[in-house]
Amino acid sequence: MEGQKMFVQIDQNDLFPYLLVNIGSGVSMIKVDGDGKFQRVSGTNVGGGTYWGLGKLLTKCESFDELLELSQRGDNRTIDMLVGDIYGGMDYSKIGLSASTIASSFGKAISENKGLDDYRPEDISLSLLRMISYNIGQISYLNALRFGLKRIFFGGFFIRGHAYTMDTISFAVHFWSKGEAQAMFLRHEGFLGALGAFMSYEKHGLDDLMVHQLVERFPMGAPYVGGNIHGPPLGDLNEKISWMEKFVQKGTEITAPVPMAPPGTTGLGGFEVPSSKGDTLRCDASELNVGVLHLVPSLEVFPLFADPKRYEPNTIDLSDRSELEYWYTVLSEQLSDLVDKAVASEGGTDDAERRGDAFARAFSAHLARLMEEPAAYGKLGLANLLELREECLREFHFIDAYRSIKQRENEASLAVLPDLLKELDSMTEEARMLTLIEGVLAANIFDWGSRACVDLYHKGTIIEIYRMSRNKMQRPWRVDDFDVFKERMFGSGDKKPEPHKRALLFVDNSGADIVLGMLPLARELLRRGTEVVLVANSLPALNDVTAMEVPDIVAEAAKHCDILRGAAEAGGLLVDAMINIQDSSKESPSSVPLMVVENGCGSPCIDLRQVSSELAAAAKDADLVILEGMGRALHTNFNARFKCDALKLAMVKNQRLAEKLIKGNIYDCVCRFEPAC
Amino acid sequence: MERDGFEKNLGEKELRKSVDEVSNLALDIGGSLIKMVYFSRNSDSSVDCSSNGTLNNSILSGRLHFEKFETRMIDDWIKFLSTKQFRFCGSQCNQASANDTNIIKATGGGAFKFADLLKEKLGIILDKEDEMDCLVTGANFLLKAVHDEAFTYMNGEKEYVQIDQKDLYPYLLVNIGSGVSMIKVDSDSKFERVSGTSVGGGTFLGLGKLLTKCRSFDDLLELSHQGNNREIDMLVGDIYGGMDYSKIGLASTAIASSFGKAISKEQELEDYRPEDIARSLLRMISNNIGQIAYLNALRFGLKRIFFGGFFIRGHAYTMDTISVAVNFWSKGEAKAMFLRHEGFLGALGAFMSYEKNDPADEASHQIVKQFPNGSYCIEDGFQSSDSTNASDDGCITCRLQVTK
Repeated sequence: MEGQKMFVQIDQNDLFPYLLVNIGSGVSMIKVDGDGKFQRVSGTNVGGGTYWGLGKLLTKCESFDELLELSQRGDNRTIDMLVGDIYGGMDYSKIGLSASTIASSFGKAISENKGLDDYRPEDISLSLLRMISYNIGQISYLNALRFGLKRIFFGGFFIRGHAYTMDTISFAVHFWSKGEAQAMFLRHEGFLGALGAFMSYEKHGLDDLMVHQLVERFPMGAPYVGGNIHGPPLGDLNEKISWMEKFVQKGTEITAPVPMAPPGTTGLGGFEVPSSKGDTLRCDASELNVGVLHLVPSLEVFPLFADPKRYEPNTIDLSDRSELEYWYTVLSEQLSDLVDKAVASEGGTDDAERRGDAFARAFSAHLARLMEEPAAYGKLGLANLLELREECLREFHFIDAYRSIKQRENEASLAVLPDLLKELDSMTEEARMLTLIEGVLAANIFDWGSRACVDLYHKGTIIEIYRMSRNKMQRPWRVDDFDVFKERMFGSGDKKPEPHKRALLFVDNSGADIVLGMLPLARELLRRGTEVVLVANSLPALNDVTAMEVPDIVAEAAKHCDILRGAAEAGGLLVDAMINIQDSSKESPSSVPLMVVENGCGSPCIDLRQVSSELAAAAKDADLVILEGMGRALHTNFNARFKCDALKLAMVKNQRLAEKLIKGNIYDCVCRFEPAC
Repeated sequence: MERDGFEKNLGEKELRKSVDEVSNLALDIGGSLIKMVYFSRNSDSSVDCSSNGTLNNSILSGRLHFEKFETRMIDDWIKFLSTKQFRFCGSQCNQASANDTNIIKATGGGAFKFADLLKEKLGIILDKEDEMDCLVTGANFLLKAVHDEAFTYMNGEKEYVQIDQKDLYPYLLVNIGSGVSMIKVDSDSKFERVSGTSVGGGTFLGLGKLLTKCRSFDDLLELSHQGNNREIDMLVGDIYGGMDYSKIGLASTAIASSFGKAISKEQELEDYRPEDIARSLLRMISNNIGQIAYLNALRFGLKRIFFGGFFIRGHAYTMDTISVAVNFWSKGEAKAMFLRHEGFLGALGAFMSYEKNDPADEASHQIVKQFPNGSYCIEDGFQSSDSTNASDDGCITCRLQVTK
């Protein structure tokens, strides 16, 4: 609407019934009542073929796209008869028709002594587009009304992400429904039929496909070729790199100015005035990209949402232009450092250099594309942007750019862990809990995703920074629910509350963050009799610890701590410690388990609509969720509400986010506790 | 092929005998056409209306005339009116004073647009009536007062429909002018414009002109008569290799995409026959109107759909296409109905409105007053035959009973 794309989250359980309007050569309107249950209820022969066919006859355009592009510069007032033309510039307000309403499409072509050559092809194309889009919108709405359908999805090649077409259809639906119905469009609009045909192959599994099992990825070529397919797919890495290298010239084209629609032409006519932001929309940019859908059958929806329908992972909406620009700058600035790290992680070979270079180009192109059309890849949140970067690295076979850094930091942190545990054990239970939370917040300072922190690394050793950070901890924190949390843990007065049954700890970075922050907290929970599940990334992202790495860290830590050892054994983490099992069974036979599960993603943030089935299973018995770190507790999920208790812990290492989210400053801390909904 | 025949028509045939006797001229000035309705008293009328005021029960017999002009030739029309010294006034019969201010009932967008022009050139003041009001009043009048006004048209067969006056409402009135208005009529005075589409008669002629170089509506219709839409439209059979897509009830001859074939061939505009283009265009627009009309009737639970307006013009193929569309989409449950005086609903409504604002005018007062009873205020219906363009000149002979 009005030139803005709003992505709609569809609750699967509330998807049906809907009206699917597929606009190909003709238009089919299909009422979909459920999987496999549908009926073609209507249609119209005035569709994409009519637009192209008539358009070709009238304008001599060679291609559909050319015709669409023409319409961008058109003014339909020269050909359409508007209400104002009939009423001498006045509205026919009694029946709600404004002067700019089209009374008769092409109606002006009758009253003047002009031939086809006297009209601008641009105007003809726009008139035609308006006529057909409007008509489809109207008939669709009437059919939706007839069957009481709330939603209308428009798909098919006619739309092509074209802003005017979508605007006109939206406007028609909005107009006729008096605002009660809204037209929705599908990014993969042109591929519905082909996708359905594909699905019909897979009568062995894909039928039950759920949205959370599909992950959409945008391959490196996406910014250049849009949704179109050019040439054969690029198979191996080498082809990808050389493709990227070849297109380095072409890369300049996407940022080069494309002729914009002259202001004032876009908002006219239609049915009244669909106010496309004519001066900001660019015809090529408005085309949406279609990514590759990766089927990951093991993904599920996190089961602990208080209200799954209302869950939105991203806290910061990047449709805010200034926000997008900020992150564009941040990511661009970090790029060279990231490339260095990535190349170093692969041994700094010539091959690694070349891949690093190609990665930088590909990712820059993605960024440029998104700056141009933020909705190109679907609804854009920071989580998507950060994940895109990781995906892009993986595409050029950088498996784990921070591998060596993570190793080094883990070792350094594990070395000081015994002292920390000793210090903690000397405290009272309540004092210890505060110290532990402080420790988590302090240790969260290590973050290679934060520019400020990277600068810190150059100034001191990891342990020095951690100490400094801890010393600076001063309550109250900027967001400080610690007392509420403490009361939940220890109660007030005589009444001792039951400890949590199972806690999910979403861990963030390697090194001090997990070793000196989250692990001691996990240990405390275990000591209180709460089962602990450490939830870590499936794939590397920045210096985030992965589910593959956590067991090693735990095993190392367990050498210095009986509690951890017992729990790790009970949780099956220490498979190679057969001898110890006997010992520990003597010491603490009833030890609650410590487990590790992967979260199913490879991004510094987490979209809880798509988590691993392991995590979903582990979550079923959980009554406490602890989200730690900026990516998982602030950038995403800050506003998420859960059915169980939730603790969100993070140090804000970004001035802008601090101001925006908590009206604070960089290095402020967030300790947000939300009792079960 | 070009016709500027209205002038000739009107001048020679009608006005010759109706000068000085014409009264109650009412206009509907649309985007494409100017429609006129007026009353002419029979010269041999046994009742002299000039003696009115004294007579309480007199019969005024005469004819209601229906004429049209193309709006783009409005200058010619004005010239014509001024030279003929047409007597426009609404109160021609008696009051000489009223002649000084020539007030004419008018509706349609042009009543606003050309108000100044007519005042300046002809000294006429247009008394503007609401367009929808007029359409509905005109349709109600025709449906109630004129025998054999409504008919269905299927497979070339015209079948007149007897309308029970008491069972007339509610109905959907689809007026196809340059654009299309769809009006839900609930009673004599209650109605609402519920929908419409910009794809109407203007689109047919406008696109038709651009594509075929035809100058007039009639030429274009004539062309379409000889055309074959299969040359340009993409049919279901074209997509499914000649087979029906029977699963969803589409015959192989159903149009999948209007003008859809124009994309796939290496042909330019010049390579297509204008006849075929006109045919495709006509089918596209008629079918579309039929469909939208049906959907709206369904939405409001209306049993009857009446189609009117100048797009139809009694043209067989147009009516057939609309009928087929309504029949197809309603699965046979709804029928499209047409009106013989389809093009004059607005003008007739404006004509009827003389009564409302000018009670002194007895003649029109009479018609309005009598028609709801269906009594013999209108006798004899049409003079003309059922030929396709009969309604162009068809006038209604009527007798007006003066009962003051």
